[in-house]
Amino acid sequence: MVPTGSFYGLVGPNGAGKTTTLSMATGLLRPDAGTVWVHGVDVWADPVAAKAMIGNLADGVRLFDRLTGEQLITYTAMMFGLPREEIAARTADLLTLMDLREAAGTIVADYSAGMTKKVALACALVHAPRLLVLDEPFESVDPVSAANIEDVLRGYTASGGTVIVSSHSMDLVQRMCDHVAVIAAGSVLAAGTVDEVRAGETLQDRFVSLVGGRHVSEGPQWLRQS
Amino acid sequence: MVATVLKLRYRVLGNTLSRSVWQLIGFIAGALWAVSVLGMLVIGLVALSIFQGLEVARVVSVLGGALLVLGWIIAPVLVAGVDTTVDAPRLAPFPLSTRQIMQVLTATGITGIPGIATGIAALATIVLWLRWPIAAVVALPCIALGVLTCVVATRFMATLSAGLGQGRRGREVIGTIVLALLILSGPIVTSVLSLVDRGADLGVRFTQIAVAVSWTPLGAAWAVPGDIAAGEWLPALLKLLIALATVALLWVLWHRALEASITSPPRRSAAKARAGSLGWFGRMPTGGVGATWARSLTSWLHDPRYSRQLLIVPLLPIVFAFAGGIDGGLFLLSPLLIALMLAIVGYTDISYDGTAFTAVLAAGVRGRADRLGRTLGAAVIGIPITVVLTIVVVAITGRGETLPALLGGALGIVLAGYGVSAVSSALIVMPVAGPGDSPFKSVPGQSFLTSLSVFAVWGVCIVVSAPALVIALISVFTGQALLGWIALAVGVVVGIAAVVVGIVVGGRTLDRTGPDLLARMKAFPR
Repeated sequence: MVPTGSFYGLVGPNGAGKTTTLSMATGLLRPDAGTVWVHGVDVWADPVAAKAMIGNLADGVRLFDRLTGEQLITYTAMMFGLPREEIAARTADLLTLMDLREAAGTIVADYSAGMTKKVALACALVHAPRLLVLDEPFESVDPVSAANIEDVLRGYTASGGTVIVSSHSMDLVQRMCDHVAVIAAGSVLAAGTVDEVRAGETLQDRFVSLVGGRHVSEGPQWLRQS
Repeated sequence: MVATVLKLRYRVLGNTLSRSVWQLIGFIAGALWAVSVLGMLVIGLVALSIFQGLEVARVVSVLGGALLVLGWIIAPVLVAGVDTTVDAPRLAPFPLSTRQIMQVLTATGITGIPGIATGIAALATIVLWLRWPIAAVVALPCIALGVLTCVVATRFMATLSAGLGQGRRGREVIGTIVLALLILSGPIVTSVLSLVDRGADLGVRFTQIAVAVSWTPLGAAWAVPGDIAAGEWLPALLKLLIALATVALLWVLWHRALEASITSPPRRSAAKARAGSLGWFGRMPTGGVGATWARSLTSWLHDPRYSRQLLIVPLLPIVFAFAGGIDGGLFLLSPLLIALMLAIVGYTDISYDGTAFTAVLAAGVRGRADRLGRTLGAAVIGIPITVVLTIVVVAITGRGETLPALLGGALGIVLAGYGVSAVSSALIVMPVAGPGDSPFKSVPGQSFLTSLSVFAVWGVCIVVSAPALVIALISVFTGQALLGWIALAVGVVVGIAAVVVGIVVGGRTLDRTGPDLLARMKAFPR
C-alpha cells in the first residue's frame, strides 16, 4: 500500500526481488498471484488505463538506442498520445532539466551510462504521470544532475504526485523518502514511514540488522598488502 | 594457459546449452547435420580414390581446399558468425602477451565445432593419396597447414573488421558490403568459368582453374601431396613455400591488427544530428500508430539488421539473370521470389526491439495500434520496392502483357506476408544480434529455430496468396492478359483482407502475450 503523494523507497539486498516487484506493479511481468491497483484501476485487468497513469523507469533493459535523445523522448510522448504542440515544449523542458541539451541530437547508443539513465528518466516523466515508478534512478548519474532531479521529484510529490524508487543507497532513501519498505528474498521485512522503519537508528544500521549477513573482517590474509 | 582457456570455452558452451532446451536441440540438430555431411564427404572421397585417377584427385583436393579456406574467410558474415565466447577484447584484462592471445584464439578456433569438422574433412583427403605413400605422409603436415590457414585467416578477418570499423557505422557498412559480394559471388564464378577456354567441357575447365588456384595462397597447401604423387617435385616445393609464407604473412598481419585493436579500443563515433531534427517522428501523427510507424520506418532505413535484408532483394533478379539469362522464365518470375523474401522480413519483428520492447509495453499502446504502425512502416518501404522491381524486370524482358499478373502475384504475397507477420510476431521472439553488435557475432541456437518458424510462416503466406498466385501463373504461361488483371484485383483485395485480419487478430494476441514476450526476451543470452 503506497499512499498517494508519498515518496516511497524500496530497498533490499541484491536479488531481493525489487525489480521483479516493480515490473509486476507496472504491468510488465505477469504475477502468478495477487492484484495491483493504481488509483482504483486494476493493472492486470485494464493495463491500458493503468499504464497511462504510470511513468516507468525500468532497470536493465535496452532503450530504442538508434534514436537520438530528442527523438526518443518525442517517440515516448507520441506513444502516450500527447498533442503535437505539447510534445515539443515538454521535450525541450526535459532536455534542459536532465542537462542533455548538448546531446539532444546524438543517438542514445553513443550516450554514457549516466546520460542513458537520464534520458530514460525523461521518457518516464514526459506524459506527466500520476505515479512514477523508478528502478535505480540515480545509478551512474553525476551528483549535479542527481541534485537537480531530486528537486524536481520533491516538487512533483509536493503537488500530489506519487514516487516509488528502488535504490541501494540508504543515505539517499533516508534523505528523500518519507516511506520505505525493506524486502529480502521476495518478502517484505518492514514497511511504513521512514521514521517508523528505522526506529531511532540510521536506516543503514536498521537495514543491516533486518537483512543480516554483515560480517566484520579485514578480508582474507592474501589480499593484505603488508 | 591455452588449456585453461579451452576448458573455459567448453564450460561456457555447456552452461549455455544446459540453460535452454531449445538451444540444446538446435545444437544437437546442428551437430547431426555436420556429422552426416562429414560422413557423405568421407564416402565420396573413398569412392573417388578407388574409382578415379590422380588427375581428378588433384582437382578435387585443390578446389575443395580452396573453397574451404574461402568459406572460413567469408561464411561467418552470412551464416554462422564467429564464436565470440573467447575473443581478444575479453582476454585483454588478463596478463597475456599478444602472442599468447593469438595462440589461445588459434587453439579455440581449431577445437571449435567448425574447426573439428574442417580437420576431419581435411584428414579424410589422405585416402586420395594412399596409393602414393610418400604423398600420403607429406599430406599430413600440409593438411595441418591448410587448416591453420583457415583458422588464422578467419581470426584475422574478424580482428580486421573490428579494427577497420572503428565506429558503429563502419562495422555495419563492412558487413553489408561483404554480404553483397557473397550474393554476387555466384554470378562472378559463372563468368570466371566462362572466361577460361569456352570450347572445352566442364571437366577440362575445372582442371585449368585448379592449376591456377594451386599457385595461390588459397590452394597451395592442398596441392602439394598431389604434385608429389605425380612426381612433380619442384612445383610441390614451391607450393609448400607459398603455403608456409601464407600462414606466416597472415600471422604477422593478424599480430599487427590485433595489437592495434587492443591498444585503441573501438572509439565511440559521435554521429550528431542537428538538435531539433526529429526525422520521421516530426512528421507522423501523434498516438500509438504514428509513433510505432515512425520508429518502424526509422529502423527500416537506418538499422542494418533490417536494411541488410532489403539489400538482398534487388540482387535476386541479378542472380537469376546470370543463372538463366534475361529470357529465362526464372528471371521473369523473380518478382514473386522477391515478394516472398519481403513477406517474411518482419515475421519476428519484436525480437529486433529486444528488451527495448519494455517502452512499448509500459506505454500501454494497444496491440492493434502497434500492429498497424509496424505494418505501415514495412509497407511504406516494401510495397514501392515490389512495384518498382516488378516493373523493371518486366521492362527488361519486354513482356509488358505479364505486368498485371506479376504485380498481382507479388503484391498478393507481400500483403499476405504482412498479415501473417502481424500475428506471428506477436507469438514468436527469438535471439537476434543486438542493434550495435558486430555482424560477425553469432547467436547460439538461432539458426535452428529460425529455419523452423520461417517455413511455417512461408507456408501460411503462400496458402493465403494462393488464389492470386495461381491465376497469375496461369496468365503468364497461357498469355491471357485478362486473367492478369483478375490476378491483380484478387491479389490486392485478398492481400488487404489478410492485412486487416492479421492486424485485428495479431493485436488481440499481442495484448495477451506482450508481457510474456518481454519475459522471454529478458531470458535470452546476451
